[in-house]
Amino acid sequence: MTLVKEAPARPAGKRSAAPAAGRRGRRRENLAGYLFMSPWIAGFLLLTAGPMIASLYYAFTRYNLFTPPEWVGFDNFTTMFQDPRWQKSVEVTLKYVVVATPLKLLLALGVALLLAQKRRGQGLYRAAFYMPSLIGASVSVGFVWRALFSDDAIVDRGQKIFGLDVGGWIGNPDYVIYALVALSIWQFGAPMVIFLAGLKQVPQELYEAAEVDGAGPLRRFWNITLPMISPVLFFNVLLESIHAFQVFGSAYVVSDTRCGPADATLVYTCYLYQKGFKEAQMGFASAMAWTLVVAVALVTAVLFWSQKKWVHYEEAAK
Amino acid sequence: MTSATTPVVHTAGERRRFGSVVWHVGALAILAVVLYPVIWVVGASFKPSKDIIASLELLPTEPVWANFSGLADGISGISISSFFWNSLMYAVLAVAGVVLSSSLTAYAFAKIRFVGRNLLFTLMIGTLLLPYHVLLIPQYVLFRNLELTDTLVPLVAGKFLATEAFFVFLMVQFMRGLPRELDEAAKLDGCGHFRTYWSIVLPLSRPAIITSAIFTFINAWNDFMGPLIYLNTPEKYTVSLGLMMFRDQEGISNYGSMIAMSLVALIPVIAFFMAFQRYLIDGMATSGLKG
Amino acid sequence: MRTSRNVERRTILKAAGATAATLGLAATTGCGGDGASADGTVTLRYAWWGGEPRTIAIKKTIALFEKKYPKIKIKPEFTDYEAFWEKFQTQASGGNPPDVFQNAVGFLRKYDKRGVLMDLKSQSDAGNLSLDNFRNGVLANGQVDGKQIGIPVGANTMALVIDLKAFEKAGVEAKMGWTWDDYFDALQTIQDKLKIAGDTGYFSIMYLYDLYLRQNGKAFFTDSDLGFTEDDLTQWWEDGYKRVRSGLVADPKKVEQVKPKSALSAGLAASEFTWDNFSIRYEGEGESDYGLAPIPTTDGKQTGQYLGSLMLSAFSGTKHPKEVAQFIDFMVHDPEVGKIMGYDRGILATTEQYEAFTPTDDNNKGVKAYEEEVAEAGVLGKITPHPSGADVIEAAFLRIGGEVAQGKAKPADAAKTLFSEAKAAFAG
Repeated sequence: MTLVKEAPARPAGKRSAAPAAGRRGRRRENLAGYLFMSPWIAGFLLLTAGPMIASLYYAFTRYNLFTPPEWVGFDNFTTMFQDPRWQKSVEVTLKYVVVATPLKLLLALGVALLLAQKRRGQGLYRAAFYMPSLIGASVSVGFVWRALFSDDAIVDRGQKIFGLDVGGWIGNPDYVIYALVALSIWQFGAPMVIFLAGLKQVPQELYEAAEVDGAGPLRRFWNITLPMISPVLFFNVLLESIHAFQVFGSAYVVSDTRCGPADATLVYTCYLYQKGFKEAQMGFASAMAWTLVVAVALVTAVLFWSQKKWVHYEEAAK
Repeated sequence: MTSATTPVVHTAGERRRFGSVVWHVGALAILAVVLYPVIWVVGASFKPSKDIIASLELLPTEPVWANFSGLADGISGISISSFFWNSLMYAVLAVAGVVLSSSLTAYAFAKIRFVGRNLLFTLMIGTLLLPYHVLLIPQYVLFRNLELTDTLVPLVAGKFLATEAFFVFLMVQFMRGLPRELDEAAKLDGCGHFRTYWSIVLPLSRPAIITSAIFTFINAWNDFMGPLIYLNTPEKYTVSLGLMMFRDQEGISNYGSMIAMSLVALIPVIAFFMAFQRYLIDGMATSGLKG
Repeated sequence: MRTSRNVERRTILKAAGATAATLGLAATTGCGGDGASADGTVTLRYAWWGGEPRTIAIKKTIALFEKKYPKIKIKPEFTDYEAFWEKFQTQASGGNPPDVFQNAVGFLRKYDKRGVLMDLKSQSDAGNLSLDNFRNGVLANGQVDGKQIGIPVGANTMALVIDLKAFEKAGVEAKMGWTWDDYFDALQTIQDKLKIAGDTGYFSIMYLYDLYLRQNGKAFFTDSDLGFTEDDLTQWWEDGYKRVRSGLVADPKKVEQVKPKSALSAGLAASEFTWDNFSIRYEGEGESDYGLAPIPTTDGKQTGQYLGSLMLSAFSGTKHPKEVAQFIDFMVHDPEVGKIMGYDRGILATTEQYEAFTPTDDNNKGVKAYEEEVAEAGVLGKITPHPSGADVIEAAFLRIGGEVAQGKAKPADAAKTLFSEAKAAFAG
């Protein structure tokens, strides 16, 4: 998490200090700063930090919501690591993150490249492609997804043309996760918009210069577009991975609330939810939540560390 | 119109036209895949309730209106419009809250140098990583102690208190991209921070604000967990909770009206999105792009 | 370019700000009170789960009650089953559950252990609530450790729902006292003749396994534990999985993908075990005709059945215990209420209500005939105890049974898993 600090630090350092302001000015700045921040500070203390500390405490207790929490040390964590359902949920989530995130981003980037060209109807396409993201994890998504990926439905029929007959994904524990992945990919609107925003900022002159040099479209993509949008790509990778780790709604509606069959769509938060809100094992659920926080923080840290190698921050990009 | 230039124009035009055809074919292909499920839902809303589950057909064989006309009677004695009104109130308040509080916070992060800023910024980014389930129960206990359950307060309080870190982040990045000369000029004119924020930075940040508004509206409109936990009185239910009332684990579920209502529920979101989506790209343009 | 449009932007945002402020004020005025108002009127929160017909009926009964007791107002709260119990748990843990609520046997001990439920005996002693005239001893369903923490509104029992057309076409018949062998033979005939499965997945239903165990002198639960061994369950699931593979039981993949529709109404199989008062859903979902058939037996006699109940319970911390008791009393005894509710929550529990209502539709008639037949056969026994955690174990049984059906867990391992999860559930 400390790595994140770099982002705000840079512009702050660049800022020209007002020389004559002096100490009184600085105090006024502090006052103004905290005044502006006061809603956030109140929200942070009341709705984030307080509940966080509470749940961190719960993670080391046995707590059924009714009787006061009872301190059990690391019991929840040891039980959790040995729990086959927890292991299953980790496996399902990792699979989902690793498969869905790159595919979704790839599609979003591809479509963004397509839409970045000035063509008639471009705005309409953009809005239409965003549509699935508007629907979110609505119950109707559950219905349609279960219908599309059932035995002998459109996807299955399409598969059979290629000689792949698995009899529908929804009822099959080995395939249902890919129905979830498909849903994630289908809702590629948000990263697409972010890619579009990034593409828009790539200076046109660079392409013109490259064209004069005789670079083909692939070369131009590789040498200009990709480096220029790498900060956006990084942002998208970060955001989408965090979202993927926390996926809940789509698993919930696609599996008709059970995150099955045979726990095959038991994503991490779904298990957390079952433990916490169905079984009232808040201690266990809190331990799970904190483990997820740590895991996501680690992934974030790794991503931030890796960005030095592949993300190009172009000061002159504007 | 000289004959010498004609062939050049001709081939370039042809190439462009060819490119255009390829582009449209590609876009249409994606459109077909993307919209197929949407069309299925529309089709399903015209199928008899019995035929919706596990039906493989895209369109109904004999379209029926019953699912929609049934909505006019309400569900369990509650009119459907009350669900929509509640959702709208929730979404509008959420948008107002996020826009106000996040922009204030973002202004402080982007434009004011104060002690502890970097630490607070890190903390704020850190909250992005929290799964919201971890906060749910302690927050519930808090709001219950304040006797605020069964109101919209628990649902929107966080929005008015800038707990939506993503939007704060988005606005911070956007405000940092604004030309510094503007607010420095304002300062020279004797404007305090509030004037600078209100008259200069806020209006200029419109794309980022509208982008946050769009996402907030969609999220609030689709929110299920929050209303489920906090709202008790059926007359106060939002659309997402109201939809569940068509379900009956022990009797006959009315999937037809459920799907029809979920379709109607899409209209406000689509309308809101369509009205403001042209700002979306600009709003996103500076988020996370600059170091 | 950007600055030129400043003024316009500013006005828009100002307008937006003003609207937000007004709305913000409006939002804080919507809080509800918690009970007695100045004129002595008492407000009670009454919560239940169920579909639209139930809600419409209950709302009518509430109107009747409010007419008779003008000083008591009822505030209804209702959702579907899943949401109900999640909401209830959060509310109850926060000390804020409804004053009166619909309850089921599986949750009694759980919430009694957590001190949520009021012992209504004292209210009965005070004359606010009558405990007389309950039929077939169902009042006992609401008793735990000598306390009356639930008042039954209806009685129901497990049944076998069959696709009448399929059974007829295959030429098989379901008879009182038939054995499991008879049952599976019938399924075999159906499979051979109609090329559909016989059953939708009997071995994942906890309440059916309970009946099977009761037929063999055991029960699913004792007062505080499971009433069978890992070996018993391994055997039960091994047999079940064998029947999945032979096609006697419907393919779990197909069963899964027609959900939330039942596999029986989807035509994947010809029979399904469930509670008799749920049987209305099949007519609503499916294309065939459906009927209730007897539970198969082990010895040709005992079905192991008992009457279960939906109940009304009260919050131990309610500020208005007397009014709560009066409300429950009215809801379970008033004949008019019985006429309105019908058999929606099972066959009416008290004689006043039972006699007031005569079913006219096929489904209710069928349920009535079925329960009468079962009662006449003399197979009804005392209800199996439901220790705290029974609800969690029922869900686990269904889930793990599903894994067995899918071939994702070996029956022996699955049984072990259930035992370890049950242990945690009892402790929770």
